[in-house]
Amino acid sequence: MFSSQSTSEAVRFLKICALTLLAAAVAGCGGGETASETDAADAAGREERQAAMRAHMQAHFDSFHALPPAVTEGLERGEITQAEVNERIATGEFEKFFQFRTPADLPEGLVWEDGSDLPEIGSPEAKKGGTLYGSLADFPRTLRLFGPDANGSFRPWILDDTRMWFGRRHPNDTSIDANGNFRYLPGIAKAWAMDRENRTVYVKIDPEARFSDGEPITSDDMMFSLYFWHQDFIQAPWSNNFFKRNFTNITRYDDHTFSLTLPEAKPNMIGRVLELEPLPEHFFAELGEDYVQRYQWEFVPTSGPYVLEPENLKKGRSVTLTRNPDWWAKDKKFWRYRYNPDRIHLTVIRDTAKTFEAFRKGELSMFGLALPEYFYEKLPATDPLVADGYVHRAVFYNQIPRPTYGLWINSDRPYLNNRDVRVGINYASNWDKVIAEYFRGDYLRMRTTADGYGEFTHPTLRARPFDVERALEHFAKAGFTERDTDGVLMNAAGDRLSFTLSTGYENLKDTLTILREEALKAGLEFRLEVLDGTASWKKVQEKQHDIHFSAFNVGPEMYPRYWETYHSVNAYDVPWLPDGSPNPDRKLKAQTNNLQSIANPELDRRIEAYRASDDVDEMKRLAFEMEEILYEDGSFVPGFVIPFMRGAYWRWVKFPEDFNVKLARSLGEYFLYWIEDDVREETMNSRRSGETYPAVDAVYDQYREE
Amino acid sequence: MLRLNPLTVRKLKRFREIRRGYYSAILLVALTGLSLFAELMVNDRAIIVSYEGRWFFPTYADVKLGAEFGLTGTEAVTPVDYRALQARFAGTDNWVLMPVVPWGPYFNDTTEGVLKAQAPNAQRRHYLGTDSTGRDVLSRLVYGFRTAIFFAIAFTGLTYMIGVSIGCAMGYFGGVFDLLFQRIIEIWSNIPFLYMVIIVFSVIPATYEIGTRIGILLLIMVLFSWTGLTYYMRTETYKEKARDYTAAALVLGAGTTRVIFRHILPNTIATMVTFVPFTVVSAITAITALDFLGWGLPPPTPSIGELLKQGTANLTTAPWIVTSAFVALVFILAVVTFIGEAVREAFDPRKFTLYR
Repeated sequence: MFSSQSTSEAVRFLKICALTLLAAAVAGCGGGETASETDAADAAGREERQAAMRAHMQAHFDSFHALPPAVTEGLERGEITQAEVNERIATGEFEKFFQFRTPADLPEGLVWEDGSDLPEIGSPEAKKGGTLYGSLADFPRTLRLFGPDANGSFRPWILDDTRMWFGRRHPNDTSIDANGNFRYLPGIAKAWAMDRENRTVYVKIDPEARFSDGEPITSDDMMFSLYFWHQDFIQAPWSNNFFKRNFTNITRYDDHTFSLTLPEAKPNMIGRVLELEPLPEHFFAELGEDYVQRYQWEFVPTSGPYVLEPENLKKGRSVTLTRNPDWWAKDKKFWRYRYNPDRIHLTVIRDTAKTFEAFRKGELSMFGLALPEYFYEKLPATDPLVADGYVHRAVFYNQIPRPTYGLWINSDRPYLNNRDVRVGINYASNWDKVIAEYFRGDYLRMRTTADGYGEFTHPTLRARPFDVERALEHFAKAGFTERDTDGVLMNAAGDRLSFTLSTGYENLKDTLTILREEALKAGLEFRLEVLDGTASWKKVQEKQHDIHFSAFNVGPEMYPRYWETYHSVNAYDVPWLPDGSPNPDRKLKAQTNNLQSIANPELDRRIEAYRASDDVDEMKRLAFEMEEILYEDGSFVPGFVIPFMRGAYWRWVKFPEDFNVKLARSLGEYFLYWIEDDVREETMNSRRSGETYPAVDAVYDQYREE
Repeated sequence: MLRLNPLTVRKLKRFREIRRGYYSAILLVALTGLSLFAELMVNDRAIIVSYEGRWFFPTYADVKLGAEFGLTGTEAVTPVDYRALQARFAGTDNWVLMPVVPWGPYFNDTTEGVLKAQAPNAQRRHYLGTDSTGRDVLSRLVYGFRTAIFFAIAFTGLTYMIGVSIGCAMGYFGGVFDLLFQRIIEIWSNIPFLYMVIIVFSVIPATYEIGTRIGILLLIMVLFSWTGLTYYMRTETYKEKARDYTAAALVLGAGTTRVIFRHILPNTIATMVTFVPFTVVSAITAITALDFLGWGLPPPTPSIGELLKQGTANLTTAPWIVTSAFVALVFILAVVTFIGEAVREAFDPRKFTLYR
């Protein structure tokens, strides 16, 4: 009855859509202009737009001044007005952000580094050629690298993993050098130098460096990039803030030399600069207010090996990246043995179960086996595919900052604003059971809010264990002493100890049903709410959650960030009254990462000191103190960390002998593998004839920590 | 209030003669009745606990903490695990009587220290195995069935109440009222029901209790389903209103209420009743489909749709999940359909009418 009604409804709707589209098409063709007239008009429009863009950029170069962090923050908090700042700019108090000088102005005595002493990455046995077949859970919503929807799961394929940047952190040598920097290998940069006193990093661009469309990469592209990231019309508030707040100057010395100045000389200073990717100025010649629409489906020329030709973008179905045969860095050390397949074919498969079946059929080259269900049940070592050696399995222990899987408690909510309730929730969350019985002991309990940062991670702090008695003790302190008929605790007012536990992770919802059952033992009720990813993110960004299960993905940085997640300005609009006491009328601030609504003046003080500090030991001390404060506060229940990556791949996909690099988060992230097409054919024939190979089910624990 | 028309009585008699439908009806009523007492048969709370000479009946009572049965340590302050208690009491004067299936729908049972789907195992009393987090499939089926069948009954009752009232009013009063409502219904029935459920469910907060959420789902479904009935009811009423006996009643001075309730409704019941089983089927299908798509009852509420979803995801590794859910669903739908067929045949107007 219902389904037939709604189906016919859907059909009707589609028909209407089709008609509308037809009408639009007819209207589009209906104009009386000839082709050449349109072209001429277009060309005129283009020139106009290009002129406008150049003028706008020049104006920005001339007028944009670097403000010290104190002034920027004062502006954010509303303590200073823009007019006051403008006045101070007029007096010449602040320097211009964009400056032009000559090579002669370069300071003397710079020590240039180029990372060439670092070990090679990948295997010399790697062969070029073949196609890697992969899958996407959803078709990318845009090809832009910035702006709305650009931060989706497709981004690694066109930005994070396939572009060179000025330099990359060496994925195996994770040591810290005498200057307090990580070790960097050269990408677009040929050499770099730092001047700690003036908080400045100098970069020499490799003169051979080219974008994939053949245009050379120059300092002007970097000047343009900063102009780009400063613009509101790119609709990327995080970039706007990041590039205004974290850089104070860019100076162009010649076509291939520039410098960037930072407000603080933080540890790993050169990383801040080297881990940037310049954008091609020539490509964005028509940049303007319509950026978001104009560049929606334009592939941005890349410094890296893979390009996306327009004909390889099958809307809604697949994306194919092809290797640029003239890639300028194809014979460079660190790059020559990587990015081996000629083509990377990515099909949209929206369902995990279906993706797995496609892999089993050989339609996909690799499959991640992080979930125990897949590793132990669906593709165990005894599975014929693995036992007969057609498919290889690998477990690889890596060393990276760990995503923060855990329960984020919104301490602005009734009862959750009581520390005893929060600590009780910590004791009532049985992650130990989830890890031991659901994840089969493969995962580890997370300890702090920032695990995996080496010396920056608190050495002794541990998450609170599951302990019914201590949970009950804390709940009792908060007034919850009586059990309701179903066993949930109540206070004298008759309010139940019951909170919504929401998540956007459909595939991890089983962990929450286990937590729920265990929490009931301690008289705590979790009402589960499983949303889709986008809806759940919206919910927590609007701070509408009680308790949320989620994780922030973190890059391989040297030290954790605290300001985004824990500073009070990210919790409330006006957190404090002028005398320093909590503002009774404060409102939650939406669209920030302070999911715990934590506002603690002690913490704020340390976050600010940590942000401004450039001393490694001081930063460590502050980080540990902050972790202790956060532990005391109890608004984050550390969940689990996955100390490895694991997956399966067909035997025609080859990996280096040591399999992968220390920082690898997935089998393919560093593009070390290569495809042997003859082996593929051989394997397919053997499957028909029944010939088998030795099984490969390897564990690589050379980087295992515990 | 409604005295059954002698014709209707004959129809009911005819229904009893159609064996398949009649026994299906008895079976369904029995199952539904039994499911009301599911807590006594499928549950992780004991039926009777005898402790130091005192008897306890924990099934419908408040949650008991371990201290009441002499447990110590952490167990004293946690709700009692009666299966463990049974094992502990073995060999003493105290005893525990557990239900036939000693598993609640939410309990995660581990095997070899791991939570995974276990195959059917009579010894461990997982008669249909467990789902992927170790919860008993039979237990979840029973409670899922109970929710589904009562949901369907409530749904049918409400749609009939609204559909019959409005349809009857349209037929009886006719004119502008009829015209107006026909247009309203045409517009209303063009709103796609599934999308409405999805939209509404994405905005209502999960802070509501599960019961409230089921209520909201019921309300939305009823809101978009009553329209189908009005047209049948309207025609039936038009037909009956034009009959001589109605005219006679009116001439005798019977009021609107009396004519509708004493004369028209009893005579239209025959037609309406034939639709009931199919409405029930569609309600069960709809709630199962919604659960399957993840838009139905919030986790961890047991439901057939949720089991089906798990089953299809673990088709090769845990076939007992999908088999159980599928067989159960087919069984329920078949039984209801048999009843429907029998009712339709028994109430076929051509069998009894004078205008053959």
